[in-house]
Parts: sequence; C-alpha cells; structure tokens
Amino acid sequence: MIGLDLSKLKSVNDKYGMFHAMTEKESVEGSFHFSAKDNLTSKDMETCSGSRILEGYRPAFDATAIAKMRAAGGELVGKTNMDEFGFGTFSANSGFEVPRNPFDTERACGGSSGGSACAAAVFEDHVSLGVSTGGSICCPASFCGVYGIAPTYGRVSRYGLIDYGNSLDKIGILSSKATDLRKYLGIIAGKDEKDPTSCVQPDFNPGYRKLSSVAVPKEGMEGLSKDVESAFRKSLETLESMGTEIEFVEMPSLKYAMPAYYVLATSEASTNLARYVGMRYGQQEGDLSLKFDDYFTSFRSEYFGDEAKRRILLGTFTRMVGFRDRYYAKALQVRKVVIDDYKRILATHDAVLAPTMPFTAPRFDDIANMSALDAYKADYLTIPANIAGTPHMSVPCGYGSDGMPIGMQFVADHWDEEILLSVAEDWEKVFESKKPEVTI
Amino acid sequence: MDRETVERVARTAHIKLTEDELERYRSDLEEILTYFELLDEAPECDNYGVNPIEVADILRDDEPRMDIDPASLLKDMNTYEGYVRGPRLS
Repeated sequence: MIGLDLSKLKSVNDKYGMFHAMTEKESVEGSFHFSAKDNLTSKDMETCSGSRILEGYRPAFDATAIAKMRAAGGELVGKTNMDEFGFGTFSANSGFEVPRNPFDTERACGGSSGGSACAAAVFEDHVSLGVSTGGSICCPASFCGVYGIAPTYGRVSRYGLIDYGNSLDKIGILSSKATDLRKYLGIIAGKDEKDPTSCVQPDFNPGYRKLSSVAVPKEGMEGLSKDVESAFRKSLETLESMGTEIEFVEMPSLKYAMPAYYVLATSEASTNLARYVGMRYGQQEGDLSLKFDDYFTSFRSEYFGDEAKRRILLGTFTRMVGFRDRYYAKALQVRKVVIDDYKRILATHDAVLAPTMPFTAPRFDDIANMSALDAYKADYLTIPANIAGTPHMSVPCGYGSDGMPIGMQFVADHWDEEILLSVAEDWEKVFESKKPEVTI
Repeated sequence: MDRETVERVARTAHIKLTEDELERYRSDLEEILTYFELLDEAPECDNYGVNPIEVADILRDDEPRMDIDPASLLKDMNTYEGYVRGPRLS
C-alpha cells in the first residue's frame, strides 16, 4: 500500500487502472479521501458507468451517497472503473480501462466494483463506495484482499445511482480497514425522500454483538478450489477458537438463486437501458435525418459493449409474452423462497457463512476463454444474499498457493448490519491480512 | 433458440446485430436458457413481490420546489432553442 499523493495519482493509475476519472487538485483538502464507483453520479467528474454510450456525461447533481460523504468532510479523488453498467464478475467488461489486481497485475480485481476494491487495496486510509447487484462488492473485496460490505437493500439511498437492477442494487463500502465499514456506512445510510425504498428502514445505530453461531450451507462448499476450501476450513477453526459455534446446514434453495438472479437482473436491466438512445446525455452526435427507430438503434448498436448487448437480449427475451411466467414470475418466487430459507436459518444463527468466491482472482487470459455462462456461474456464492436483499460482507481469510487473497462472506438478516460490523472488527484482530506491494 | 427469435428480440431492443453477433448471441442464449431450465423444478410460492423488502409509498407534501436548475441539466444536452434535439418521428 502507499499513501495517497495526488501528484502521483496518475502514475499509480497508469499501473493499476482503478480510476476512470480523477481529481485535478494537487492536494487533498478534505478531512478524508474517498473514491466512488463510476455508476454514482458526481458533479465534478464525468460519470459513465463503464459504458461508452455515456461518454461525456457530466451530471448536474451528486448521488446521495457521494453528497453525504462530501458533507462529512470527504474529498472525492476518483471515479472507479467497473464492468459496463455492472455487468460482470471481473471488471473486464469495461468500455474503458480494466483495473488490474494489485497483488498481480496479470489478474483481475473482480467485479463489478473492481476499481473500488483496487483503490481500497492500494491506498492507505482510503475508502471506496461500491455498488452490489449480484455480488459486485464482495467479489472484488475477496479478490483484492479487502473488507467489503453491501448493506440491506434500501439501507443506502439509490438516488443518483445509474440503475442496473432496481430491486437488487445496493451501495456499500470497501476498505482495507474493518473499522471503516462502520464509520462510513454510518455516513451514507439513512432515509432519503428521493429514494422511497430507503424510507422504510429502521434507524441505523449499530452497537456491538459477539458472533455466537454461524450456519455454513453444505451447498456453499461445492465447487471450491483446493486453496479456497483449505483457507475457509482454517477460518472456521479460528472462529471456533473465538467462541463461535459452527453448524453445517442444508439450504436447498441456493441452487436456484443463480438462474433466478440473472432473469430478474437482466429483465430489469433491459428496461433500464432503454433510456440510452443518443439523446439527453452521453453520446449524442448522430445522424438526425434518420427515422427515430434507426437513430436509436445506431447509438445502441455502436456504443453498448458485448456483455451489455447479451444481457439486454436475455432480459428482453425473458420478459416477452409467452415466456414471462416461466422466467420472470418464477424468478420472483425463487427470491421469496431464498429469503424464507435465510429467515429460517437466521432464526437460530447470527449469520450464514461461506467462501465469497469459489476461486482466487483469475488471470485475464483465462477470463477471455470463459463462456458467458461460465462467468455467470462464478457468482453462485454471492448471488443468494443479493437476490434476498440481505446484508452481506466479505472479509479476507487467507491466501492461495498463487499468493492471491481469499475471502469469506457473512450474510445476516435484513437490517442487521450490526452483527456484520462486529464480526469484521473482531476478525481484524485475529487475522493478519497482507498488503500488496505497490511500486510506481 | 433460433436465429429468427434472436433477430426479433434484438429488433425489439433496438440493437442491430452483425452476422457474427447474431450467431454468437444465439449460441450463448441457448446455453444460458438451457441452464435456466433449472427454474422449472424450483419450488413455487405465493405472496411474492417485486422487492426483497416491504416497500411503502412515501409521498412528500405537494409543494412546488426546484432541486436542480433545469438549465444545468440542459447544458450538456444537444438542444435547439431550449428543446432537446432528437430524430424525426416519421
């Protein structure tokens, strides 16, 4: 890690590619510095959500989460690179630069908040705002060896967040320090009349609770690499030595969560992305003599990336008459079944625990050889909590034989961020995390 | 998943596909949707909603106010005499 020096920000970014846009100031004037995923609108920096179709968009307003960080004395130093609109597991689906893992720049940071995890791992005393739809905070936190929390759906206002899936998107925190999660989640959480889904939340006043028991779904132990399984089992032993009771449980609904998630997420995304037609924001220089259908089609065909097109097609198909009940309605039912499963288990346990990702950060050449479905399947451990809207958090828990970080993910009941924040702080006292060697 | 269906979906979504893209997305969607058949055996339930938490309608007082100056929204838009420019309708 290195201290954040604005005069060297460009050099650091040249090596790691974490920022899409950076401050032009020469020194940090705020009481702390932070970065934010590039799907959160910011007044003074371009906001593209990783998509070329939004190139040139300079919002007239700050997202509520950014506004609150600024009001608390924070200085926004950069907008972080990400998969286009959040569509990815490795941040390799960016329309701009792909962030590189600070432990090995031949490997991915994870996605889709990859730039945020990278910034949190590289800079000392730095916190980054991430956004999770299907695992986009915990996955990169795991791959980059930092702490990452995605709170309950609705805990943080989504005002100013460029939508991927409205019923799934959650803004959270990534940092190398566990104590930062409590500090900065406390700043960005709360009701906001500009996002009605934030207005039903109970007050956010987390205290401390010791983790008494965790449930480990047997289904979450399937398909793991040897390194991940070994590090996870060792972490379970450590938790036991800390006085936490471990119980392996059945959670049969987990296997349905992945297809249900991709149906819901792409259905919502395909409607959300209908607004990008070469008018109002981003790319707007087109041939106005074209008929409107052709005009809209020309922008969308040219500027949407490969994965964005794939998800738009998938989501449009699953919403079509004749298929809607089979896919969309069934996916909503699966979401309810997954929530009920979590509630059943969490009635007798403080949290549900599993590895965050089934493997360590892959190399970019391996990612290039993955099929779309292979990449979707990689999310099977992070998706269930996201589809359920339950708060979840990844903490570093080991390192593979390749030297890459491994994370484990705790899931708590709706609105119970308290247990996650407590666990993170206790875990940080017993687990010595490695910091990447940063040279520029 | 046949090519005609992919073409129809792409047309609906306002995306023009090249021949290569058409075949690639057809193949990808077929593989993905085959995997999604898993949903057919998933348990069913009632009382499901579209959000993972209970959401209530929150309304503010019906008082006029302006959070953002419209001029600041228009400044980066392609406009003509204060109106957003767009393609012809016919």
